[in-house]
Amino acid sequence: MFIERIRAMIPDAEALFSAEQEWQSIRVNLLKIGRDELVERLHEQFEVKPIPWCEYGLFVRGNIAKTLEYFLGYYHIQGASSMLPPLALEPETQEMVLDMCAAPGSKTTQMAMVMERGIVVANDVNIKRLRALSHNIQKSGATNCIITNYDARFMYKQGFKSRAILLDAPCTASGRIIKDKHRLDQWNYHRIQHMSNVQKMLIRSACECLEKDGVLVYSTCSLEPEENEEVIAYALERFDVEIEPLSFTGIRTRPGLTSWQGRRYEGLERAVRVWPQDNGTEGFFICKLRKY
Amino acid sequence: MQIAKILGKRDVRQLEQLLHRHYGCQVDLSRYRVFITRENRLWIASREVDIPFFRDMKRCYRIGIYFGKLKRNNKIKLTIEGALMVGKTATRNMAVIDEEEVMEYMQGNDVHRYRLVDAELHNFVLVKCKNDTLGCGLLREGYIESLVSKARRLVKPAASEPEEHEEK
Repeated sequence: MFIERIRAMIPDAEALFSAEQEWQSIRVNLLKIGRDELVERLHEQFEVKPIPWCEYGLFVRGNIAKTLEYFLGYYHIQGASSMLPPLALEPETQEMVLDMCAAPGSKTTQMAMVMERGIVVANDVNIKRLRALSHNIQKSGATNCIITNYDARFMYKQGFKSRAILLDAPCTASGRIIKDKHRLDQWNYHRIQHMSNVQKMLIRSACECLEKDGVLVYSTCSLEPEENEEVIAYALERFDVEIEPLSFTGIRTRPGLTSWQGRRYEGLERAVRVWPQDNGTEGFFICKLRKY
Repeated sequence: MQIAKILGKRDVRQLEQLLHRHYGCQVDLSRYRVFITRENRLWIASREVDIPFFRDMKRCYRIGIYFGKLKRNNKIKLTIEGALMVGKTATRNMAVIDEEEVMEYMQGNDVHRYRLVDAELHNFVLVKCKNDTLGCGLLREGYIESLVSKARRLVKPAASEPEEHEEK
């Protein structure tokens, strides 16, 4: 069923099923080392090339998890397309960002790294994942992060307010098919429906926490419209939010779907889909909303 | 988070002096908010973080990063991040190891080959390799005990694990 659904979404579905990830990707931790210095050090051990859409991202070939530089936190292993949501949010250097589902913390530490005088409130509900988040923040050396342990679906009840929110929602992760073909065997429509319901509760909470004129970036690494366009349509119908156009340079992206199984999604062409076969990365859906 | 005390300017200066006495370093901690937990653990956070606000929050799990632990003998056991900050200007209580020993240290094993710089026995030393500060160790007679936390240790590849380029 997954295959049929993908074929209904894009004309080059076969390219997706045969896509392979050739390069691993890392993000330079600018809090600890300069980009050029790290490139110089890694060049001695690995094949390295820049990620065109992220100035502090690098593609690397080799076993990058067992180096001195990794041990010291000079870089973080992070999917090349997962560097996009923080770029879409463009956190100002002095504001407070709320990362609602932060674990394991790749995007959290990316934002913390670029915010000179701002702070990041990183939240996650799962205590096991919170430990991973905590570990990654410690390793990054980001002193401007606070970790909280709330159920993000009900965070608005705690009175949280922010002008910048990242909601990288939990999802079925079908965009990771490029890394793990076995994901196809685990594909289950009921799981998609369940995740979609959770994501709607999350985006509702995020919209409530968002201040007027504030920005919310919603992202998932799923390819399913129920987890992406459907969730955004739900938010557009119920809250005072509108989609802001997104554009990234150096990466091939496609617009969000404007219809799926008889349902029309108004304005969703302004959202962005990153398909695995286009850039050799995992798939992503990103949408930027502004509260009016 | 169980914060026992948020350090004031005077306390922070005393901490800087303690670090200077021990490692001969010039660290400017006034750029951070420094606080101590009930287990004598020192944490640092950016000045922009409103510590009392988050401390009083019901489900606040953690603020800032763990810098080091204050021991009863007035010595400080530094975390890797603490050591990185201190190591840039440190002049004493250092152990310089060569690249072959780095893996041993990162795996949490004792290091037997090193060169000491003004170090006291049975004391914490900064472990360095070339320009990198790797963290903190404990200088024992004839070896340095690696104090890398379990979560940060590099795991030794299992004997049966195939080599990276070997076909599976």
